[in-house]
Amino acid sequence: MIDYLWLIFRVLVFPGFTFLLFFTMFCDWIERKVEARMQNRMGPSFTGPRGLFQPLADFIKLLTKEEITPTESKKNFFRFAPILALSVLVFALCFLPIDGTSVIPNVSFGGDLIFVMALVSVANFMLFLAGWSSANPYSSIGAARVLTQFLGYDIPLLMLALAPAFLAGSLTLATIVSSQWVPFAVLAPWAFVLFIITMQAELEKDPFDVPHAESEVVAGHETEYSGGKLAFLKLARDVQIVFGASLITVLFLGGANGPVFFGFPEFWGTLWFVLKVLVIIVISEYITVLFARLRIDQVVKANWRIVLPLSVLSLILTISLAVWIYPLV
Amino acid sequence: MSNSNIDIVKVLETKLKGKSFQIQPGKLGTVAVQAIPDSHREVLKVMLAADEKTGVIAITGIDLGATIGVYYHIRTSNAFVTIQSEVPKENPKIATITDLMPGAAFHELEVSDLLGVVFEGNPRSGHVVLPDTWPEGIFPLRKDVKASEVKLNPPSTTDARFSGDKGLVKIVIGPHHPALLEPEKFAVMVDGETVKSVEPRIGYVHRGIEKAAESKTYLQNVYLVERICGICNACHATCFVEAVEKILKTEVPPRAKYLRTIILELNRLHSHLLTLGHAGLEIGYETLFQYFWRDREPIMDLTELVTGNRVISSAITVGGVRRDLKETDIPKIKATLSDLRKKVPFYKQMYENEPTLRMRMQKVGTLARQDALKLCVVGPVARGSGVDIDVRKDEPYEAYGEIPFKEIVHTAGDTWARMNVRMDEVEESINIIEYAIDNMPTGAYRVKVPRVVPAGEAVNRVEAPRGELLHYVKSNGTAYPERVKVRTPTFANIPAFLKTAIGESIADVPPNFVSLDPCFSCTDR
Repeated sequence: MIDYLWLIFRVLVFPGFTFLLFFTMFCDWIERKVEARMQNRMGPSFTGPRGLFQPLADFIKLLTKEEITPTESKKNFFRFAPILALSVLVFALCFLPIDGTSVIPNVSFGGDLIFVMALVSVANFMLFLAGWSSANPYSSIGAARVLTQFLGYDIPLLMLALAPAFLAGSLTLATIVSSQWVPFAVLAPWAFVLFIITMQAELEKDPFDVPHAESEVVAGHETEYSGGKLAFLKLARDVQIVFGASLITVLFLGGANGPVFFGFPEFWGTLWFVLKVLVIIVISEYITVLFARLRIDQVVKANWRIVLPLSVLSLILTISLAVWIYPLV
Repeated sequence: MSNSNIDIVKVLETKLKGKSFQIQPGKLGTVAVQAIPDSHREVLKVMLAADEKTGVIAITGIDLGATIGVYYHIRTSNAFVTIQSEVPKENPKIATITDLMPGAAFHELEVSDLLGVVFEGNPRSGHVVLPDTWPEGIFPLRKDVKASEVKLNPPSTTDARFSGDKGLVKIVIGPHHPALLEPEKFAVMVDGETVKSVEPRIGYVHRGIEKAAESKTYLQNVYLVERICGICNACHATCFVEAVEKILKTEVPPRAKYLRTIILELNRLHSHLLTLGHAGLEIGYETLFQYFWRDREPIMDLTELVTGNRVISSAITVGGVRRDLKETDIPKIKATLSDLRKKVPFYKQMYENEPTLRMRMQKVGTLARQDALKLCVVGPVARGSGVDIDVRKDEPYEAYGEIPFKEIVHTAGDTWARMNVRMDEVEESINIIEYAIDNMPTGAYRVKVPRVVPAGEAVNRVEAPRGELLHYVKSNGTAYPERVKVRTPTFANIPAFLKTAIGESIADVPPNFVSLDPCFSCTDR
């Protein structure tokens, strides 16, 4: 009985849904604040201390707004795509060892890295469906761009994710984390840097945020969404960013590994994990702020001509250097 | 820059000798040529053969009672010519000049819209500035139109959102769209991501200012024309008052000229900084936008310091300016300008070196020099394509004849070149203002002028931040003008966008478009 309660607590409260929800909003606040300060602006300042509650306020505001479903849209896809995207992403996050173990204990299995990556593709596909079902020219173009982009960048992303798997000798996330007494970011920095760049494209952030290019396609696949559905779509996007940063943390920065000083190791594990995720988010936001948005053809070219060959090279490099790296693992 | 020594008056006099043309040097620009309908083409052909920089700036339609006057305002490399033609009111037909000069298409359409003149052979048709619900056969700028007669048709209910053509998607940019700050519609047909055609529809913010100007006194009109555009308001005011001063034959005191120059250049500075930043927004470079707009703020403060108002300066009036520059303000102006000057190199290298910015702007919307001449584009768009036209140099007004400055010309013709023209002009503007402050003549800053303006007509050009601005004013001897015609730079530049957008990616449309520095409240008036 107590096991079940513990499981429910873990899934719903900590480190599961509630924690992830508030952590996502916190990350959103950090992103907005970093971006604003880099652009000589204030950023959110009024809701809560230093505007900390602004993302929550935005979410609640959207929930209270009227929802409109276009008559021409494919209603079922239109309604469920945002919810499905969010759920799939949260589900994928449950496999990441946030406080040392994954959210649902003992779900880790051989090859869950591949499974988690597949879930991200499914979530991206949901975003595509959201746009495709809207029956709006801006949405269809935005959706087509989502598809073009994630189909292209999934390949190098998976290849680069293989580097830590190779170093750890396992496709299991838990094993990858536990073998990182020295973070893989230090052992294989080439893969780490490339992974961050590819993740930037996968998360549709500048310079790769073509699906959201508001000057061309308004809001891309989100154009027809309003009210609660938009709130969930936006939340799904924020969770996606947190997921991306978490994945980098798990694969390259040793996840929840870190010194434990006193008290519960879970507390320290979560703290290290959160701090590492925040570092990644700040780096990613820096990249976002520093560059202009590329064109879709340039994004696709950058993938096939630069990122993909480089990730193949990175994999070869990792394999050939593995002999020297293995003793360090 | 008067790089050619063609004496257009002599050319016209020799070539048109013995034919029924009346050539009046000194009228409406350098020379006015009276031509009967359809012989205006002959004059234009002569001019085109003589000077490659011949271009139609504007076509003014005017109700002359029994006839409708159609005045073609034409620039050459060193002169400004007006071809005057008249068509009977009952059967107002005149041959088009779009085959000689494709850039005239929209100018002709506007005259058709407002005065009902039919330009036979113009490839475009339909309303330009009037709404689609406007009743047939009523032309607002004719003198016999009564407002009570105008009964708008019910709006059409058919909405062709998807084209019949399979595979092509119609993307409607505007009237409400994040890429446009003002309402205007561009229906872009795309095949995948490639633009196949662009159909413009302007006129969403047409306020009938030209008509309204006929019922206000000259002094009131100064404030009316200022409100054509919030950004280049001083340019409109200057252009209008200069035209009135030409009719009045008033000589403005030198100090007023310098003060006007300062206000005009402040206008240009903040307008250029606005566009340079806005271009960043269009290519998804929000940081650039925020930085430029931060540095634009002090210029707005300077405008307030000099004129008393932040946006619509209302400082320029017939006979001079409305307030003098205080000696005590000069150090503050200089400090602000030197602050900005220090930041210019940073922005310049930003535009020159930032890789993603160059990827988005270079080779986008390339307008060849030959097309730029044919489409009669003006301002930074023309100068970005290597056409060296700048009214400040070609026909110096105010104090520009006395102030040394460079005319910025880039030759690449793409979006990037146009933005770099503006970037370099920011620096020149700072120089001009500093020179004007240092060499400011003493004396009166305004002369009193009579309220009633003698009968006459004048046409005047000013280099607004977006390009050449033209005002035509006709007076009938009362305190109210007979006709005020405004041709704004964006109106002349839209054909360039329509040409260059085709064949490029839909993603190139916003940066290409913003590189014209479009101002629709100007365009529609």
